[in-house]
Amino acid sequence: MKRNSTLILLFAGFVLVIGIVLAAILNDEQPIRYNHEKHIQDADLECVDCHRNVETGERASIPNIETCSECHDDTEDENEEIRKVATYVDEGKRIPWKQVNVVPDYAFFSHRRHVFLGKIKCETCHGNVASMVTPFSEPYREITMDWCLDCHQDRQVSSDCYACHR
Amino acid sequence: MPRWGMVIDLNTCTGCGECAAACKIENNVAIVGPEESDMGRTMLWMDMLTEYEGEYPNVKVRYIPRPCLHCDEPPCTRVCPVRATYLNDEGIVAQIFPQCIGCRYCMAACPYTVKSFNWYRPEWPDTMESALNPDVSARPAGIVEKCTFCIHRLQIAKEEAAVENRDLREGDYIPACAESCPTKAISFGDLDDPDTEVSRLRRTARAFRLLEELGTEPKVYYLYEVE
Repeated sequence: MKRNSTLILLFAGFVLVIGIVLAAILNDEQPIRYNHEKHIQDADLECVDCHRNVETGERASIPNIETCSECHDDTEDENEEIRKVATYVDEGKRIPWKQVNVVPDYAFFSHRRHVFLGKIKCETCHGNVASMVTPFSEPYREITMDWCLDCHQDRQVSSDCYACHR
Repeated sequence: MPRWGMVIDLNTCTGCGECAAACKIENNVAIVGPEESDMGRTMLWMDMLTEYEGEYPNVKVRYIPRPCLHCDEPPCTRVCPVRATYLNDEGIVAQIFPQCIGCRYCMAACPYTVKSFNWYRPEWPDTMESALNPDVSARPAGIVEKCTFCIHRLQIAKEEAAVENRDLREGDYIPACAESCPTKAISFGDLDDPDTEVSRLRRTARAFRLLEELGTEPKVYYLYEVE
């Protein structure tokens, strides 16, 4: 009986360790532990301040050193993550962000059309980014055609297949 | 709602093939090797039909650029079992690539043979891979494809007009073939607007359509050569 309990405890411990390791791997997927909350709530930035193509282009664009360097250049900063950014800036290397939201190659999505013209809030597709303290490791929600079409029909915009597929 | 159409002036067309080349590049149309080409598997959304008259040395060659004719009564859409091809609200015969199952009924139904079947997974040389047009998908093997009147250009033009808070103007949207033609033989615009260049040209005595007797009502008009 005692031996069984020990085994169960050992197994539980093993699962816990694996869980912690997996969580650490998932959290560390991005090269920098970017904190959206700090940028949006504390620094009072808007999404478009860094994702600059949101209102003008098809792709929102993921900011890289050109944008980050406008605020971060102290390689001696006390915050390790800022030091990492500043090092990338200092060495002129690209931050190897992993793209999380990927539109499949048979579908076309224009941020300009949805955000600038359609006045759709970023949160609709990307969730409450303003309270996120870790970077995205996976999309906020699965983007399905049903979901797109529900919104298109509610707003009475084109549901022609060509609106997205070409 | 506009009804998009095209007028090709055969008198001005020199048969240079620029429209066919521009189309291929604009729409990421796969390049097919000579062996496959011999098997009739060449992929061209804008084809250059050639007609020879007379005997050597007195030969006259006629060229007829032939995109999808975007019929108002398209035979191809009626046979599609999965609605991958249909006539959309603006008169464009759509071909929705991810919806197509590759049965090729539409190819058999089209009297103008404008549709191509993708026999192979398209491959481009490395240097061309980076030059693929990001506004158009690279189609997978096993589906039917054809000219879309460069629908992506319409969407971009509409978006730009909306950003500038104005209506679409004539000339905002023209397909790559019309844009590239060095002799301006290809006109493009709204056939329902009587003031557009295409409306004016199609009312002239030189205007005709291919296989008009079939009743397919193509929206691509040709202007006879002046002898």
